[in-house]
Amino acid sequence: MAEKAFNLTREMLDHSFAETVAPDREKLLTCIQCGTCTASCPTAYAMDYTPRQLWRLIQVGLREEVLKSNTYWLCTNCYSCTIRCPRGISLTETMAALKRLAIAQGLEKPSTIQGRVARFYRSFMDSVRRHGRLHESEFLITYFAHTNPLGLAGQGRLGFNLCRKGKISLAPSEVKKRGDIAAIFRKAQELEAGGAP
Amino acid sequence: MKYTYFPGCSLLNTAKEYDVSARAVMRELDSELVEIPDWNCCGATAADVVSYLLSLFLPARNLAMAEGMGQEVVATCSSCFLNLYRVNKHLEQNPELKGQLDIVLAEAGLSYSGNLRVRHLLDVIANDIGVKAVAKRAKRRFAGIKVAPYYGCQVVRPYAEFDGPDLPMSMDRLIAALGAETIPYPVKTRCCGGVLMTTQKSIGVKLVADILEPAREADCVVTVCPLCQLNLEAYQREVAGKLGWPVRLPILYFTQFIGLAFGLPEKDLQLSSHLVSAEKLRIAGSREQVAESR
Ligand code: SF4
Ligand code: SF4
Repeated sequence: MAEKAFNLTREMLDHSFAETVAPDREKLLTCIQCGTCTASCPTAYAMDYTPRQLWRLIQVGLREEVLKSNTYWLCTNCYSCTIRCPRGISLTETMAALKRLAIAQGLEKPSTIQGRVARFYRSFMDSVRRHGRLHESEFLITYFAHTNPLGLAGQGRLGFNLCRKGKISLAPSEVKKRGDIAAIFRKAQELEAGGAP
Repeated sequence: MKYTYFPGCSLLNTAKEYDVSARAVMRELDSELVEIPDWNCCGATAADVVSYLLSLFLPARNLAMAEGMGQEVVATCSSCFLNLYRVNKHLEQNPELKGQLDIVLAEAGLSYSGNLRVRHLLDVIANDIGVKAVAKRAKRRFAGIKVAPYYGCQVVRPYAEFDGPDLPMSMDRLIAALGAETIPYPVKTRCCGGVLMTTQKSIGVKLVADILEPAREADCVVTVCPLCQLNLEAYQREVAGKLGWPVRLPILYFTQFIGLAFGLPEKDLQLSSHLVSAEKLRIAGSREQVAESR
């Protein structure tokens, strides 16, 4: 990835950005830019900013630059960076907070990796909200219908094979006390309304 | 020994052979998995992206119900294990959370202390029951069979509860105790790509190729997580295209592997539900049995 220069005396900086996205802001500020996270990250090769670069952008408050990157969308929650970071920073949880913030701001476009990942998780949670458990076939069909109907055709062979093996059921398995599930979704939303992501 | 069991959504469908073989193997080991009635989805990696509190409340309902059942709770899926375990950790770190959780659970007539011990089935079998007891129960030995032991991420990270976060050994020891050879496998905790296989296939296929390439000499890969199993098994045609050699590697759950050594019938193993045939392992096991019974 080509290096990019920022003139930090001129850029619009959001000094509270680290606080907004990092579960442990003080720790994030202690990042020594050693690059262990990047070296450990299986998807760093495809990111427009490496994890190390992203933490620096967060530190200085280049909010928009961070949010428009694909970096956090390519994070697979593998926690390799988190266990190796010599500063003990909650890196994976920070990546998740960035996803939440971007979704809350409506940044995702359906044709991009951002849009697809966001839609994937949203379709997943819609299914859980409805049934209390994930209904795999319903979730995948909704996801592909929204992002890439051709992708659904591409998954057709796999779907067919899984069906043939009796591994995809068309009827959902459901939680009996769905009121509990509704209450959990409602309360989480109420408690977070207006709060940090 | 009795354990409270959280199967998780994948084990109802794409990973049903994991559920069936886990129950059967535990029964053979004089242990019992008692399913949490009316359990709900743990939120996987999805809930946290939608809402931080949701990612804790969903698994917490399961913990509350499990706590009422008295025994430690065991998960088979690595992501379920992590999500249940994470609730306890976050409750410990964030005192404000306990009050919020109490309010939510009260609506469901439940409560949770934050203290129920959460286990992964690999930990239970390797450490509570023990490698020796497993080997003792085996009827077949996998002599000459080479296995790539693949752990994936979330069973050992970020919480290295029972084994090392980079090069764990619990499953290696189980496999070796059953007479098979584990190949040196430095990628044993490399990421399988998780959801990227669906959302950005080119990256997913690359990550799986990185994992399967060093397993070339192996007869099979043995794993502990439903998403790892699916990613490693279902895209081998694409991976073969990338690696330039025919990839036909059976990807088994560790419970199926143990069950094979125990001589369990197909109904308890469901090897036939795999997309890549694992039949050669059944034969490898039975040949040994014949040799021994002579
Ligand atoms: S491993 Fe930790 S200290 Fe090193 S660059 Fe990454 S975040 Fe900073
Ligand atoms: S958790 Fe995310 S950022 Fe960290 S190493 Fe894994 S994929 Fe990379």
